[in-house]
Order: sequence, then C-alpha cells, then structure tokens
Amino acid sequence: MSTDLKQEVETWLAAHWDSENGRAVGSSDYDQKSWLTKVVDAGYAVPSWPEKWYGRGVSPKEARIIEKAFQARGAKGWGRDRFHLGAISIFKLGSEALKTELLYELLTGPICCLLYSEPGAGSDLAGIRTRAVKDGDDFIINGQKVWTSNAVEAEYGMLLTRTDIEAPKHQGITFFIFPMKQDGVDVRPINQITGEDEFNEVFIEDARVPERFIIGTLNQGWKSFQTAIASERLIMGDGITSRLRGAAGKVPTLLALAHKHDKLKDPVMRQEIAQAIAYRQLNTLNMMRAKEEMMKNGASSLASLGKLAMSRIQHGEARLSAKILGPQILLTETEDARNANFDAAKAYMNSIGGGTDQIQKNIIAERVLGLPKSTDVSRNIPFKDIKSG
Amino acid sequence: MPDFSIEDRQAICKTFERLLADKCDETRLREVIETESGFDKALWAQMAELGLTGLMIAPEQGGIGGFIEEAEAALEVAGAYLYNGPYISTCVMAPMLLSTCTDETLAAPHLQSIAEGKSIFAIAGCAPSGDWTAELNVTANAKNELSGEAGFVVHARNADHCLVYANIGEDVAVYLVKMADEGVTLTPHKTDDLTLRLSSMIFKNALAQKLEGVGAKHIQTALQIALVAQAGEHVGATRRIFNLTIEYLNTRFQFGQPIGRFQALKHMAADLLIEVENASSAARHAARAVAAQAPTSNVLTYLAAFTCADNFRTVAAEAIQLHGGIAYTMEHPAHLYWRRAQTGQWLFGSSDRFRDLYLSQMEKTL
Ligand SMILES: Cc1cc2nc3c(=O)[nH]c(=O)nc-3n(C[C@H](O)[C@H](O)[C@H](O)COP(=O)(O)OP(=O)(O)OC[C@H]3O[C@@H](n4cnc5c(N)ncnc54)[C@H](O)[C@@H]3O)c2cc1C
Repeated sequence: MSTDLKQEVETWLAAHWDSENGRAVGSSDYDQKSWLTKVVDAGYAVPSWPEKWYGRGVSPKEARIIEKAFQARGAKGWGRDRFHLGAISIFKLGSEALKTELLYELLTGPICCLLYSEPGAGSDLAGIRTRAVKDGDDFIINGQKVWTSNAVEAEYGMLLTRTDIEAPKHQGITFFIFPMKQDGVDVRPINQITGEDEFNEVFIEDARVPERFIIGTLNQGWKSFQTAIASERLIMGDGITSRLRGAAGKVPTLLALAHKHDKLKDPVMRQEIAQAIAYRQLNTLNMMRAKEEMMKNGASSLASLGKLAMSRIQHGEARLSAKILGPQILLTETEDARNANFDAAKAYMNSIGGGTDQIQKNIIAERVLGLPKSTDVSRNIPFKDIKSG
Repeated sequence: MPDFSIEDRQAICKTFERLLADKCDETRLREVIETESGFDKALWAQMAELGLTGLMIAPEQGGIGGFIEEAEAALEVAGAYLYNGPYISTCVMAPMLLSTCTDETLAAPHLQSIAEGKSIFAIAGCAPSGDWTAELNVTANAKNELSGEAGFVVHARNADHCLVYANIGEDVAVYLVKMADEGVTLTPHKTDDLTLRLSSMIFKNALAQKLEGVGAKHIQTALQIALVAQAGEHVGATRRIFNLTIEYLNTRFQFGQPIGRFQALKHMAADLLIEVENASSAARHAARAVAAQAPTSNVLTYLAAFTCADNFRTVAAEAIQLHGGIAYTMEHPAHLYWRRAQTGQWLFGSSDRFRDLYLSQMEKTL
C-alpha cells in the first residue's frame, strides 16, 4: 500500500515537477497558482482530508509519504493539511457552503495571515478591539492589527473582531475569514530583529466582509479561535519556525558546526553539545509519541508541550553556536556567524509568537496539569467597562 | 519475542501495579528498608507467581518470554513505588548473560530457578571504586578461581549467586560463583539512599564456573539492557513524585488559595512536565529500538540513560522545593525519591559519561 503510494507520487512528480529549475515541467517560471492547482487536483496538497475536500482520505502516516516525496524533489505545495492554517480552520469549522465557496481558492493560493494581535491585545488576546458591525449581508470592519506575518502576500486573513461590547470579553468575539485585497486595508511592513520584514501593521478602515465568512458562529469566535491556535502551536512545536529544522539531515547541525570549528575535543563543550542535541531529539520523540496517542485516543496532552520545549531548544542551540564560533560571532563576514546571529534572534519567534512561553506555561499548568486558574479581573465584566492602558 | 502483545504487557503491568499498591505502599516500603536485608522475600515470591521474575526468560526455561519493552514497562511500575528488590540484577542482567552462555546444562537450571523466584543473582561488574570505566580488579585463573575485589554490588547479601566480570589474560569473561563459597567475602556498606543495599566483594581463590561463550560484547549488551531497564524505573519514579507534587499544589492553601494558583509554581510545574515526558519518551523509544535491534539502539540507550537519570534527580529536587518545609522531613516521601535519584546517577555509570558516549555515537554520522 505505502510503497504503491510512494511509487505513484514519484511518478506523478517526475511527470510534472522540474526539480532542476524549481518549476512545473514545460513552464518557464514558477507560477504559484497554476502549480498549486495541479497539486490540489492530484489530491497531494491535503491528502489526509476526504476526497470531497480535495484530499485522498489517507492516514497521517501515508500523508507523510507524500510530503517526503515532494520534499525530496524540492517540490512545493505539500502538507497544506498541516500548515495552511486558514484552510485547516475552514475545513474544521466552516459550514458546508463556506467550504464549497472558499476551500479550493484558499488551497490554491498563498497562506492566510493571522489578524489576531493588536497594539492593546497580545497575550490577553481576548481583549481585542477591532470592531465588526453588521451592515446588510456584510460586516464593516474598523481597527488595527499588528505583528501580522505574511500580510503583504496574503489574499485572506483570519480575523478576530469585537462584535458585542456589552458581553464579557470572551463572549463578544467573532472570527472571520477576511479578504485582504480591498480598499480600506493598509498593510505596512515592520523591520524585524532578524533583519527580515515578515510581519506588518494592518490598518483596517471601513473594510467589508460577508456575513457568511464567519468561522463558527457570531459572538462565539473565541471558541473557533481555540481550534485555530491549537493547530498553530502544534506546527511550532515541530520546530518549523527555526532555520535549523533539526532532524532534516542525518548530522545534527550543531555537531557539524562544532566539528568544522574543531570544538569536539573539549570535554565541557562536548557535554553542552550533546545535551543540546538531546533536547531536540527528545522533543522529536515526544512528538512521535503525541502522534501515536492522537491516532489511538484522538487527543494527546503531549502535543501542547512541543512549542515550549522548542524555545529551550532554539535559544540553547543559538547560544551554543555562538560559543562554538567564539569571537568570530562578532563579525558578519562568515556565513556561520551570520546564521548563528540570525538563529539567536529568530528563536524569539518561537518563544513570543503564537503565545509567549509564559502563556504556554500558564496553559500547560491549568489545562494539562489541572492547577487552579489564575484570576483575570477583566474576565466577567462587560467588555466596554474594562480598563486599558 | 513476537508472542508478547502490547495487551499482554499492559496486563502484567496492571497486576504488578496492584501487587505493589498492596504490598509495597509507603508504610510497607519503610518497614522493609528498616530491615538489615532491605528485601521483602514474600513479595518476591508473589512476583514470581505472576511471572515477573521470569519476564525476560524464555518459556522453555520457565519464563514468560518477554523482552526489554516488557521489562522497561514493568520497571516503570516498580519505580513508582520505589520498589527496591534485586530485579535488574536477577531478572534483567542475569538472564541476558546466562541465556547467551553456550553451555546450556550450566545455564538452564539457573534460568529456571530465577523464573521460579527461587534464586537471587547479584552482578559484580565494576571496579572497587564504583567506576564502570575503571579496569576490573577481579582476575580468573585457568582453574576458574577468582581473586580480587569488586565494588558497589547491589543486593549481594540477599543473593545466592553472583555473576562476576573478571579478567582472564587479555580478555574479560563472566563467572558464576555461589555466594556461600568460602573464597567470597562480603562487606556491606552504609548508603545514603535507604532503599539501596551495596556491598564490596572480595574473592580469594573463589571457585567459579565460566559462562562459556560470554564475552565483552555480551557484557556490553547486558549493560545496554540494564540501562534501559533502569531508565524505565527512573521514569516511573519521576512521574510518581511529580504527580504527588501536583496533588499537593492543589491541596495546600496559603494566602487563602491553593498554592498551585501562584504563577511561579505553575511555571516550575510546566517546565518539569517537559522533563517527565522527555524521560518517558526516551525510555520507551530506547526499549523499542533495542527490542527491534534498530541501528539507533545505542544512541537511544545512551540518551535514555542520562536523560532519565538527570530528569529524575531534577524533578525530585524541585518536588522538595515545591512542597516547602513538609518535604524537609524524613516523614515525607519526597526525600526517598530524591535519594534514590542520586543512586540512579551512579549505579551503572555517570550521566556525563553517557552524554559523551551519546555524542560519540552521533559523531559516527560525520
Ligand atoms: C515573529 C512573530 C510573528 C508573529 N506573527 C503574528 C501573526 O501573524 N499574527 C498575530 O496576530 N500575531 C503575531 N505575533 C504576535 C504574538 O502573538 C504576540 O507578540 C504575543 O502573543 C505576545 O503579545 P505581546 O507582544 O503584546 O506581549 P505582551 O502580551 O504585552 O507580553 C509582554 C510580557 O508579559 C508577559 N505576560 C503577559 N501576560 C502574562 C501572564 N498572564 N502571565 C505571565 N506573563 C505574562 C509575556 O510573556 C511577555 O513576557 C507574532 C509575534 C512574533 C514575535
């Protein structure tokens, strides 16, 4: 079964993907839309979903076979059932009609951006103030979002809005899939600590979104949002945000670096390097166990540990890379130093983005370990009466 | 060992758990560790009835034909109760070494009596200093007589037989001696871990039988299996002391609220949960890899060895801090776990050594 599948995918890729030039066979340039359309039509973009929704109805394990075949040839468009958060949310939470209307378009387009954080609502995300007000069949949106990754390319965003200011903060939120390419949406890139400018400020002024684009139900957006954020944290727990990505190659990156700079003879350094490699391997083993548990029981509390564990891994590896390089780390003249400095900065994406480490620890302590909830003084009062500052 | 299903494994662990809950609860454990032998013979007999002493012994030899995955799982149960019998020496290492012996007439009766719970084995495998990397001090002569000293032998006083690693010329071999032999002298030591029984063994022309066909390679395999088994034991103990701590955070009140509401403690608990789960994953994946003779079995064994030992010590230490004054007492069980965790750091070699060996395995990929 699985060898047949592997064979099938490889044959398909050989016929359609020109791995030498990184584009579809017979085309002169990589065109995202047309390539993704091919992948989606073949059922390889979201193989774990049912055929009706562009999948193949295969197990996660078999889906991984497809992903691996794509990765081996450097072909794009794989694993969208794990990484395309917008499509995943619509698939899981959208109505039949919404899926029919949007899913194909989402899958064949760029990933959605996440319009969650605002200047006044970060960790306390349920404090968002961007308003959505009903107007005929539409809602009119006004407000400001910030730290929105990939907002420039995105055609759609997952938008958290306030629809009822009389209700307590968790109960007046509505979650939309929001068209980005319209008047009234102003995206301004922000320079990041890494030198990249992936994330943006998004100013929204009298923009419109159809009522049927609500994910879940009106004023119950916080619940739908939980599903979306869980998928995001799962991805981060796999270490997808780091340049190192870990287990991709056989040789751990840190080991190769230490070898290259002749640091494997120092017994103290050996201990630190071994421990750093171990932390990454242990997280991989935990996530394997989480996947086994999920297949068996439908849920696993282990999965919620990955993102937090990944912070120790990424910051630790970055610190150690600097130690391996020594004073060279101060100069930007070698690729090793540039990478190490980049990784050191990028590690904060894992420990801040998608909910900070501190918030993750609160969640693990309260939801996994069942410790008493901390009091949120703003939890049970009408949203409009909450103090801000 | 394809005969042993996951359901079988779970079933035997469940019965073991019931037995220990009944016969090795904290009160009983404290009684046992107060005795000189530190060993509950009656409980051992009941374990034998359940098949636990023959867990890793083939059915033809009276056992139930499990392997390291079964032992790892059973030891998770044992660890939770700080069960302190001579299980790893008698039921894990001795069967490994005896069953590779080419002289079946020598090995078979011993395997049989281990399975029946009638025989207890000690392993004298390290130098007097307790350092597993140091040169063995015991040597054998051509007449199979042993002389020299071995240190840090667990439960030697309760054993009727001992497997001794000894130099013979340039090689290392394994010898079987009767504890009652005139040439064997035991010196029991006092230990900080009250659940532990350690002795030095001095051999003066002790009469031994050589385990034919058992050499350095098999000693290495037995150590690997022991490390995975011990990792399982650590995991069980780690999880238990962690759970006891979480329970306390929910029930101890200060400032008019459960202390588990304080974020400083919540964050410690969340961090510790990662250590608990890392240890579980390490031990179970190591057992699986060793059972399948996977190419990763060495890497994963070393990973499990230092991770489970270190994380047990970390979690047990933080458990004391999280409990406050109550855990700074002999009455509270936290110190039993904490002291046992220290034992685990040294019994088969140090975490630093296994971390280095782990890296050496990784270096092979360079
Ligand atoms: C690289 C990157 C990409 C991002 N991409 C996106 C995106 O695409 N879309 C999006 O919407 N957002 C995005 N974010 C925003 C991210 O989700 C927020 O930065 C994050 O949730 C924290 O909010 P904040 O920055 O307002 O910090 P604050 O909430 O102000 O936190 C400040 C400090 O207080 C601590 N703190 C706050 N509350 C508590 C508490 N209850 N207990 C203990 N400590 C607490 C925090 O841990 C932190 O240390 C991204 C962030 C980064 C770094």
